[in-house]
Amino acid sequence: MTEPFASDVILSVRDLRTWFVTRRLTAKAVDGVTFDLKRGKTLAVVGESGSGKSVTSLSIMGLLSRPGAIAGGSILFRDRQERVHDLAGFSQKQFRKMRGSEIAMIFQEPMTSLNPLFTVGDQIGEMIALHEPVDRREARKRALAMLKHVEIPDAESRLDDYPHQMSGGMRQRVMIAMALSCSPSLLIADEPTTALDVTIQAQILDLLRRLQAEMGMSILFITHNLGVVAEIAHDVVVMYGGRVVEQAPVNDLFAHQRHPYTRGLLACTPNAARDIDAAGERRALYSIPGSVPPITNLPPGCAFEPRCDFAIAPCRAAPPALVPAGPHGASRCIRSAEL
Amino acid sequence: MSALVQTVEAQPLLSVQGLTKHFPARNGRIVHAVEDVSFDVQRGSTVGLVGESGSGKTTAGRALLRLVEPTGGKALFDGVDLFSLSSRDMRAYRQKLQIVFQDPFSSLNPRMRVAAIIGEALDARGFPRGKKRAERVAELLTLVGLSPDHASRYPHEFSGGQRQRIGIARALAVEPQFIVADEPVSALDVSVQAQVLNLFGDLQRKLGLTLLFIAHDLSVVEYLCDEVVVMYLGRVMERGPSRLVYAAPRHPYTKALLATAPVPDPTRRRSHIPLHGDIPSPIDPPSGCVFRTRCPEAIAACAETVPPVEPVGGGHHVACIRHNEKMSDWSLK
Repeated sequence: MTEPFASDVILSVRDLRTWFVTRRLTAKAVDGVTFDLKRGKTLAVVGESGSGKSVTSLSIMGLLSRPGAIAGGSILFRDRQERVHDLAGFSQKQFRKMRGSEIAMIFQEPMTSLNPLFTVGDQIGEMIALHEPVDRREARKRALAMLKHVEIPDAESRLDDYPHQMSGGMRQRVMIAMALSCSPSLLIADEPTTALDVTIQAQILDLLRRLQAEMGMSILFITHNLGVVAEIAHDVVVMYGGRVVEQAPVNDLFAHQRHPYTRGLLACTPNAARDIDAAGERRALYSIPGSVPPITNLPPGCAFEPRCDFAIAPCRAAPPALVPAGPHGASRCIRSAEL
Repeated sequence: MSALVQTVEAQPLLSVQGLTKHFPARNGRIVHAVEDVSFDVQRGSTVGLVGESGSGKTTAGRALLRLVEPTGGKALFDGVDLFSLSSRDMRAYRQKLQIVFQDPFSSLNPRMRVAAIIGEALDARGFPRGKKRAERVAELLTLVGLSPDHASRYPHEFSGGQRQRIGIARALAVEPQFIVADEPVSALDVSVQAQVLNLFGDLQRKLGLTLLFIAHDLSVVEYLCDEVVVMYLGRVMERGPSRLVYAAPRHPYTKALLATAPVPDPTRRRSHIPLHGDIPSPIDPPSGCVFRTRCPEAIAACAETVPPVEPVGGGHHVACIRHNEKMSDWSLK
């Protein structure tokens, strides 16, 4: 069950395959994904719709619903006692024990994850009581401390609020309070700021950074926004068509992209300093032609080949391997050395 | 500016003056969605309307086209006040003013073929049926970068970016002079957004369109828009030529927005977060300046009167009583 991995790694996903198999077709939503998350660091998984980033996070949390299932690979997780578990083979019972105390998750839309019928204080308290032997009063006290910890103003009175009485930003803070109430060592954050306005998003990113520094948790951060990646990540994994196409430390990735898709994503984000000339004339934005292919109908070679400016005949022959590129990174492109 | 000088200058295609929209809320209370908003849109230019959720930008755009009836103000389109038109006369004007919606999934009827979706718009202006019409549909599809044989397909056969192109083709079918584009790229994947932004740029060059572009993404507006109007809680905080507003924002809210927008550059992580708290309820907006409850520069006087939108040169306007004082520099580290 345990395979060796570096002691500073808390989560090691290896050749993960999560497929959705029906009688008519097989959707390989995640197909051979490998990455490591270092202890106390933030790893961002970036991708557009259909890239497989969310299915990867659901696989790690054991939250896949049928017909989705792990078809192969392993998800090695090191707990506080330094024991290594393969989450890919976990039963729901094993997951329940692990969730909350070791691994917690926050989602894009906090309203759907909070119960509208209970006050936020009750919900955080229940979370604590589920994992630790505390009475009602102690649980409430701890819930209040968590609300203060996530900087909810006037926390005493907000404890008895229902989720609908709060703004989107406040609800996301409550979600974070709930997720962190049992001091998990790994937080999985799936697009936690996507539904929020920029000024609120900045507050939540700031909060996550501060809590990470204080509590030392590791964060797996799923997002489509490269600006957010630059704000929060230490390391980055870029996904496309269910596979990792590039990975690198954050500064390396933004300084030099070694996969045409990553390069294209950055180039097509408007940047007035680059895209408007001295005379005030707009240059046409670089754009990636076509659209993200459906996961059930990927091209036989490189999944990005039909949209790629660098594509050559061998790209169509077989899916390229993820090969080392740059000082600490990797790229799934046969021409990465030329980029 | 004197009346004489104004007549010499080119008349704007659209002049919005004191636009106000209130919605009734429970217990006889009022939602102040849009309050006294004024700005001009010059012929052939693009004006960006930016703000966070609850700023009133979408309501302002819809009220201009009277998709919701405005409570007050004027919208002079080529000198004619759209708000004073009868609903019958307004229908004729609708051909000159069109809208492109945010969500290309819910704004196209899934049971109609593309030819019928665009044809419906052609009906509205009494375009004859027959061969001519098929040609016009093909022409419109080509104009937005689709292929004429897409006309026989249904919306579900298209990607998000392609659907947005269909929505644009439908808006163009009546040959409008003015288009309100309400967050037209925010539902699209990043790799597809640039395609649609380029399309807007092309159409503007080819057709001389005038565009009101509603968005929350500041970098998109900076790139695409000649002028920008920054809204907060229903009111204009700052407006002016994009290059002036972005290079030297004068309002604390604009400064905060620009400082908190994430930049795809990890070497420019920001030093601190200037804005605390959430946008207040539009049912009971703060007295005086609506931004003062979150403003790091607010003083007692900010609660007393609504700050006037004052010119600060070069067409740049700002609604802040402290705009002439030196305020904190929130530029990125």
